[in-house]
Amino acid sequence: MTAYLVTILVIVAIATLVGLALNFQWGCAGLVNFGVAGFVALGAYATALLTPVVGWFAAMLAAAALSALLSVFLALLSIRLADDYLAIVTLGFGEAVRLVLLNEGWLTGGALGIAGIPRPFASLIAPEHADFALLGFAVALVGIVYIILEALVRSPFGRVLRALRDDPVVAASLAKPVLILRIKAFAVGGAVMGLAGAMHAFYMTYIDPSQFTAITTSYAFMAVIAGGRGSNTGLMIGAGTIMLLLEGTRFLKDLIPALDGAQIAALRLGGVGVGIVLLLLLRPQGLLREPQRKAASLLADPERADAADPSLPASHPQEI
Amino acid sequence: MIGQLLLNGTVSGLLLALPALAVSLTFGILKFPNFAVGGSLTLGAYAGWVFNTQLGFQIVGASLLAAATVALVSVLLDVAVFGRLREQGSIALMVASMGVSLILENLCRFVFGNATRSLDVDVARPLRWAGLRISHEQIVTAAAVLGCLVLLHLVLRTTPLGRAMRAVADNPTLAAARGIEREVIVRLTWAIIGLLTGLAGVLAAIDRAVEPLVGWSYQIPVFAAAILGGLGSPLGAVLGALAVGLSEELATLVVPTSYRQAVSFAVILLLLLVRSQGLLGARAVRK
Repeated sequence: MTAYLVTILVIVAIATLVGLALNFQWGCAGLVNFGVAGFVALGAYATALLTPVVGWFAAMLAAAALSALLSVFLALLSIRLADDYLAIVTLGFGEAVRLVLLNEGWLTGGALGIAGIPRPFASLIAPEHADFALLGFAVALVGIVYIILEALVRSPFGRVLRALRDDPVVAASLAKPVLILRIKAFAVGGAVMGLAGAMHAFYMTYIDPSQFTAITTSYAFMAVIAGGRGSNTGLMIGAGTIMLLLEGTRFLKDLIPALDGAQIAALRLGGVGVGIVLLLLLRPQGLLREPQRKAASLLADPERADAADPSLPASHPQEI
Repeated sequence: MIGQLLLNGTVSGLLLALPALAVSLTFGILKFPNFAVGGSLTLGAYAGWVFNTQLGFQIVGASLLAAATVALVSVLLDVAVFGRLREQGSIALMVASMGVSLILENLCRFVFGNATRSLDVDVARPLRWAGLRISHEQIVTAAAVLGCLVLLHLVLRTTPLGRAMRAVADNPTLAAARGIEREVIVRLTWAIIGLLTGLAGVLAAIDRAVEPLVGWSYQIPVFAAAILGGLGSPLGAVLGALAVGLSEELATLVVPTSYRQAVSFAVILLLLLVRSQGLLGARAVRK
């Protein structure tokens, strides 16, 4: 039972990393990425291939760097066009990554994938505690990424990103370099997706292309919508809840024996689709609204700032 | 050899033309890239299969009924989902359409399973003409698509509905001021989009097979075609579809066939590098 709990928590931690990354790209900067699975896969494969050669730390850095680099490349191509183009290009990128992983067997092992990926600190920890140690590692990574992203969101950089998400013309007219800011934001998200992939590789110790599909991308989108776009805390709660619910569907087979494997898979993925659509319809602001930090609330006396707050949602319709 | 590739490419391009037109129409009139096209194609394929093999309709009747089914579902989806999100902007609609695609695909998977099925189509010997091998399916596909294109062209160019659709695409506020009911036009547009994708779904099923991922495999080529033509331009979408179909076939001369699906991604990248507004269509650069 403990082992199962540890498994679930590691999966939740990985999904949280992916969610945090998408939340930065989409929630904070308004850049839609339908190729999440591709970036995670890149990170995982880079880690799997490099860890035996250069050690786990350098491999993780390389995974993040590779993902960020490709994010910059895709962003450069499409980001000066309307939002829609980035979505389409990233969707194509996800498929292209999958095809390369499947077909370049000399590097990636093709459909068989790569097995025996060494974990960090493997020699220091007794095998029976290995999963537990990895959970600690994953939680620490989530913590570090959360702190960094939260700091970025609160920094002038994050403020400008939100401004240009809400109105690029205003941001540009204030002499903000919109194009460069968007590319940076997309790269930060890409790097975190690479780290999530590294974590995935360490946890599974065996990776193949079938582990990185539309499901990875859809979960991330649902987590971001559920948590509240732009709110990192909401995202953590959202991602946790969703992964626990989805893990719960594993028991459906015991409850309703008439369902076969394909039907359970269809229920899970279709359920994510229903969740995305329903959340957009019924609770577009998500679990936690993005914190509205106003200069006035810092400058004016607290009572008046509080009194002004309830009017905020009405005058600032959530831009998505 | 080249002639055969050109022929195959033209026919698979024609097959892409219908969903690419649907994407282009959605973009022109509803102002968002409709990722639900993948799920709708799958739904069309399964609807065709049910009418054809389970209810015993001939393939022509089954195709028309499948198209009508997808049209109905598309209108219902607009009432239930897209209509309510219209004020939230294109990104919400785009993400919702991806969600809808997942729902449609998995609905089919839940009911019919992962097994590959095929339609009940008469097997005929391919025709041989001037050294080319022309299969029966290719003739059917080409005839159906060309018929559809002529019909759609007439609807868009000569009927009051077509004029109203173009007016809404051009300037919704002005169209509303001239007494054009936007909601009615939008619902009718969804019906047309549904008819196009539904029919294309059956054609895709004839070309490949009926299985849950059949629509997904067309998603990227269809968007490549629509972008190539310039999003929002119907004629451009058709030309774009032909170009994507031909490049997929001709690419097999230089890259392994396993990378066939990546060709449309390469087409998109190349296009964004060279001519971002597409073959026809307005420039979409924002900064």
